[in-house]
Amino acid sequence: MKYGKLKRAAGILLSFTLILGSLAGCSGKDNGGAGNAGGNPTGGASGEEGGEQAMGRFLEEDVTLPIVFGNIYDMRKLEDGTIRIIGNNADNGTETVWDSKDSGENWEKAFDVPKELQDAGNGYIDYAALSSDGQSVWVYNQIGDGGIKPILYLLSKEGSLSEIPFELPAAESAGGGAAQSFSSIVSLNEEDEESGEGDEESGEGDEPSSESNESSVKNLITAISFLGNDQILATDMTDKIFQINAADGSVKQTYDFSDVEDSHQVFAAGKKMLVVTSTEALVYDTETGEQQQTEEALQQSVAESGFFNAVDSIDAGETIYYLTGKGLFHYKFGGSVMEQLIDGSVNSLGAPAFYPIALTMLDEQNLLVAASDLNSDAGAGMALLKYTWSADTPAKPDKELKVYSLYNNRELRQAVSSFQKAHVDIYVNYQVAMSEENGTTVSDALKTLTTEIMAGKGPDLMLLDGMPVKTYIEKGILKDLSSILEDKSSYFENILNAYQDGQEQLCAVPARFMIPVAQGSSANYTPGEDFDTFTAKQGILANMDPEALVEKFWYSCGAAWQKEDKTLDAGKITEFLSKLKNAFGEYDSSAIDDSTSMTISQGGAVNELQKVSLSWGDFDLAFGRIKVNPGLFGRMDYGIMSAVNDKLEGGDYGLMPGQAENVFVPAMILGISSKAAQPEEAEEFVKYLFSQEAQKISQFGGFPVEKEAFQSVVDGHEYADKERLVGVMGSGGVNPDEKLDYALTPTPEEEVQKLISLAESLTTPALQDDVIKEAVVEQGAKVLKGELSPEEGTDAIMQKVNIYLAE
Amino acid sequence: MHGTAKKFLKDTWDTLWNPSKVKNIFEKSGTHRKWQGFLWILPSFLGVMAFYLLPYADVVRRSFLGAVDNSFVGLANYRMIVENTAFLLAVKNTLRFTVFCIPLLIITALVCAVILYRSKYGGFIKSAFLMPMALPAVSVALVWRLLFHSQGLLNYWLSHLGVEGKDWMNGSYAFWILVISYIWKNLGYDIVLWMAGLAGISENIYEAAKVDGAGEWQCFWKITLPNLKPSLYTITVLSFLNSFKVFREAYLVAGDYPHESIYMMQHLFNNWFRSFSFDKMAAAAVSESVILLGLILLLQKAWDSGKEQ
Repeated sequence: MKYGKLKRAAGILLSFTLILGSLAGCSGKDNGGAGNAGGNPTGGASGEEGGEQAMGRFLEEDVTLPIVFGNIYDMRKLEDGTIRIIGNNADNGTETVWDSKDSGENWEKAFDVPKELQDAGNGYIDYAALSSDGQSVWVYNQIGDGGIKPILYLLSKEGSLSEIPFELPAAESAGGGAAQSFSSIVSLNEEDEESGEGDEESGEGDEPSSESNESSVKNLITAISFLGNDQILATDMTDKIFQINAADGSVKQTYDFSDVEDSHQVFAAGKKMLVVTSTEALVYDTETGEQQQTEEALQQSVAESGFFNAVDSIDAGETIYYLTGKGLFHYKFGGSVMEQLIDGSVNSLGAPAFYPIALTMLDEQNLLVAASDLNSDAGAGMALLKYTWSADTPAKPDKELKVYSLYNNRELRQAVSSFQKAHVDIYVNYQVAMSEENGTTVSDALKTLTTEIMAGKGPDLMLLDGMPVKTYIEKGILKDLSSILEDKSSYFENILNAYQDGQEQLCAVPARFMIPVAQGSSANYTPGEDFDTFTAKQGILANMDPEALVEKFWYSCGAAWQKEDKTLDAGKITEFLSKLKNAFGEYDSSAIDDSTSMTISQGGAVNELQKVSLSWGDFDLAFGRIKVNPGLFGRMDYGIMSAVNDKLEGGDYGLMPGQAENVFVPAMILGISSKAAQPEEAEEFVKYLFSQEAQKISQFGGFPVEKEAFQSVVDGHEYADKERLVGVMGSGGVNPDEKLDYALTPTPEEEVQKLISLAESLTTPALQDDVIKEAVVEQGAKVLKGELSPEEGTDAIMQKVNIYLAE
Repeated sequence: MHGTAKKFLKDTWDTLWNPSKVKNIFEKSGTHRKWQGFLWILPSFLGVMAFYLLPYADVVRRSFLGAVDNSFVGLANYRMIVENTAFLLAVKNTLRFTVFCIPLLIITALVCAVILYRSKYGGFIKSAFLMPMALPAVSVALVWRLLFHSQGLLNYWLSHLGVEGKDWMNGSYAFWILVISYIWKNLGYDIVLWMAGLAGISENIYEAAKVDGAGEWQCFWKITLPNLKPSLYTITVLSFLNSFKVFREAYLVAGDYPHESIYMMQHLFNNWFRSFSFDKMAAAAVSESVILLGLILLLQKAWDSGKEQ
């Protein structure tokens, strides 16, 4: 009894601890990074501490470049504080050097590089790099009788040129994935143009210079940088790195990475050389050539932050600043932590089409980034951005706008980046439910979304692609957006109103769209022909992947199946399967295995949309493996399309024949949650997404609904005055000899107008319901393969779909 | 009301804290004795209250409200589910499954238990029967897929015997596969329960019966079965409740929309949840719970009346 009270107290205490412990597991606080990477750039803590809002963040601003650069090779802060850029003047094609004495505010041309390097008739500049004393090294690929020969030139700070007596050894084994398809753009030199003139009528010829010399390429330099001011690091096409003395061209060290399968980048930091892959960093002492032990913190930093895009240092290489897709990081050799200074998700650094070329740390609080930004307003896509530390700006933007989508959307990601740049107080938290890593199913993702929305923690804005849009509208999950889009005159209204209800409410609006089209020679396909006529031609769709084929025609036919009571018309599905089977003919798996699209599938990850896109089958169409190429048309590659049409002799494209007419596929469907925590910001963002600026972002996700942006992305204006550019597309793999050349030219006005008329004629949104689509594709493929009759296929589809529709 | 609750809590606290009061309570009878019992179940009751009863009350409330706007709709949700063909199909399948499985499982388990109880390797074999319960549902589902896929192992074996394969999970066979799977998984558990019941029957009764000339069959019929009646109630209720868990395997193998013969109530709830149909879900859940409660009470009544006889 003496210890009775003690025992009871202990018992009660333990019980409470147990209950509290259990309840603690229920708190699902999101600890995810929310753009609070700011912190003190000199090494302070980041995020919120002690309940007070942490202050300080790098802000991004555009720096106006003095000329339109076609390419920027390198940018560096020189020892005297000058910022130097070396690049190519897009207006006249000259290689040029520019300086700024005031951190990028004003620029002066230092000089154009000497004529020896401007001799486009005999070669071209491939790479160049700067040293901190203002010298630059240039890789000039000289084209001669013996093939392409890379020559290194050293340009002094003042512009005097000397050749570095370095002979690049011939490649022992030029690597390269033979099974990979390729597509490259090369510039025709004058001689090629002349020789090609005579062949113009035949539609062939115009062989690009690099291709004609391809067999005679012995070795090429693929990357170059300075190591200090007197040595150069040059990587060749076999992944050997040569440490070269800039003065006499002697090779001090050779590092062989030909066995490393992962692609890698080489950076110099003081006397160290960093070889970085997407998963590891190797550090070498360039004095001895020995590999050093990679510090654990650096290793972990690479694992967390990903591939390095650019590296700079403001001391003798003791610390490095590096850019990755996740932002700017700082690491001190010998230290134990990597510090994130800029969160890429709140500015351009994390944008999908942003590729940093050079990072220049002006000091600890200011930096410049030169980059290739495909969506930049700057000509030729070269952009210069300045990041400045702002101590008065909250480390994390005040407001968090949650944006959700099932699949990653590159246009949206790019738009998020641009939107945040203009709204420093808003952090757009873009969450993608499904990725290759997490293995989530659509069903699981939607259940989680339901839970979050009902718990009041759901997204503010949703990209409804792949979601049951009509159900969400019926259930009142989505807000009416008609007030945001009052003036629809500048948009394709027919597309915009795809989900308009009886009360003229717009709860879901597609910001983009795709058109189901077919392309083929006049012998096989006539634009405008109906489904019956088209599918009556037996075997017209032979040798195609059954699953992809059913999915493509699902878009052009599915909309005709739905009856007024929302059930499906079994008769029309049977008709669809029977006619498609007739057009497909007998299943031959070997023919499908030989196709280019199959080769590409095996070469790497391909997203689902790509497999049903028009461009997916153009190569097989051009080389006669398929007769007609049906697919979703969401991006105008006029050069390729016309090259395929020319090769087919009388080829053309038109709307895909289907049971429904004038069908379009809504894409990037936007909806604001009726339970949004930040409805005003969500509306602001939606307005931005429908602005011309955001609509012009083009990353394969469909045509914009804004008319001027539509015209801008299809007219190929970026190729104006660049007639010398040609593209070469090849399949590699099973058909290595097949190559398709195409000219990169602006789209002719009549083609642009044809596409605009086509877009304006679209009236029927495709049936977009993943449950029905899955059932149709699964059973439809069995019918095409001959495993089921069309009637049996229809029964199996109806069995599943009826339950779904009855729910 | 507030004062009463406060006084109750104070009394409870004082009671727990003061050994003499606890002693007094034990010594008292009548009303206090009832409170004493309540005190002991209080922690558990609070848990049940927080995690089951209150959410259930909310479900009942929601069954009369709209899906997202929470407007009062009366009995509309109930009318909606009664007219919903997917709901009717799920109810039909769930009932069919229960009607087939429960008797089959109980009888099979009883036969096995009686045989094992008399076998000298009974203990070891009993453990073997319990193995399926230890297997994660995901692994079981994976094996199913490998076995019953249209191009799976079963069809491969059948093709060697010259028998044409079938798409097992997309035909009426799917139901029977589900039944066999349920019995395979739960047989061991029921055997253990039956064997516990068998162990409770005194050997003296059997010996006395044998002295009186009773045979094996008579012993089983007249002694074993009547003495296992108390176990029957527990086993039936547990088997019944376990039958709802078969959804996991069906879902993992065939997804949200399996063949219509194995489309269960849980599939429907799962899909309704995904499409924000909380109104229909609530009405269906209330209806189902009422039916379940009625069945269990009926079973209990039958058991009680059996005891009285």
